[in-house]
Amino acid sequence: MTTAVQPAGGGGGGFDRPSSSSLADVIDTILDKGLVIDAYVRVSLVGIELLTIDARIVVASVDTYLRFAEAVNRLDISDTEQKGLPELIEDMNEGGAKSKTKGALEAAGDKLKDFLAEPTDDGRQTANRGRGRKDDD
Amino acid sequence: MADTQSTQDTVTYVYGIVPGDVESDPEARGIGDPPGKIAVVRHGDIAALVSHISRDTPLGKPEDLAAHAQVLDATSGVAPVLPLRFGAVVSGEDAVAEELLAQHHDEFRSALRELEGKAEYVVKGRYEEQAILREILAESEDAARLREAVREKPEDAARNDRIALGELINNAIAAKREVDTRKAVEKLGELGVTVNVREPTHERDAVYVACLGEVAAQGELEKAVGELAKTWEGRVDLRLLGPLAPYDFVVTKQPQE
Repeated sequence: MTTAVQPAGGGGGGFDRPSSSSLADVIDTILDKGLVIDAYVRVSLVGIELLTIDARIVVASVDTYLRFAEAVNRLDISDTEQKGLPELIEDMNEGGAKSKTKGALEAAGDKLKDFLAEPTDDGRQTANRGRGRKDDD
Repeated sequence: MADTQSTQDTVTYVYGIVPGDVESDPEARGIGDPPGKIAVVRHGDIAALVSHISRDTPLGKPEDLAAHAQVLDATSGVAPVLPLRFGAVVSGEDAVAEELLAQHHDEFRSALRELEGKAEYVVKGRYEEQAILREILAESEDAARLREAVREKPEDAARNDRIALGELINNAIAAKREVDTRKAVEKLGELGVTVNVREPTHERDAVYVACLGEVAAQGELEKAVGELAKTWEGRVDLRLLGPLAPYDFVVTKQPQE
């Protein structure tokens, strides 16, 4: 019998069920969570230089606020409000100038993904497929 | 001479603690360049997953981080594992057996027994930008008013209004995050899993929770997350990660000295 653990395509509704974590997920997890070796090992501890990764987006800063304001500006007006034609034209003109900003901001939002290569989909399998446990008896 | 030198320059990287009956795949690879082979150091009823790395090489490249997580997460689907934080390095396998495993044998063993059959799952939801902004603009007269103010003024003159608008939206999202996180925690709590709420790491995070559940009951978890996803369709992009090593559920005891 094979292990019943597998990525579930048909498990539920419309949600993403990646077979491996993205680097952004990994950074959220392994850098400040888990047991700390220093608490258990003193004598044989080896200090290795760690490349610092400070890729988290600071939540609640002026940059964040400006980003949200930009996003509001980009919303399609007709969806939320009725407006007169002159104003619509003005918005369209602004829209042309702002499309570049949009790209840059979205890139910033996804900087983790750009900065870090995603693990390959088959990485987990090649690394660990065969790991198992001996029979318990 | 060269051999002696290379032995001294090789140190042991520790991924995590597992039950003593875990075996590593000969093909499994860990961190480093080239990636080191994963070895198992045993002592009594417990063992550590390790690999050998060069003392001189800084750690933290994306491949290192991915490898650390992969070794642990792949294990968590088949055996309990106590994950170590990234960057745990000791002088050699002897030190792993004698100092890490032997001296903490019983506490590691009992923690592993508690984790038997369980793994961590992370539920991560992010608000769909346009949907959440429209929701807030419809609910908040202040937001709608500031939006007008921003639109009517030249970009430089409207800076303060833009900041005020953004702050209002940020706060509104934070309030929504709290409500939606509570909903998710309740939903997951019905399954009997232990839930740990994580700090948001993105301004549009809607839900970010880790839970410790039975690997055998993963289908139920997927069903519950699917129901949440349906409730929030078009509003929150939801993801489910796991099984993962239980990073959010292991705690280092205060050293007793």
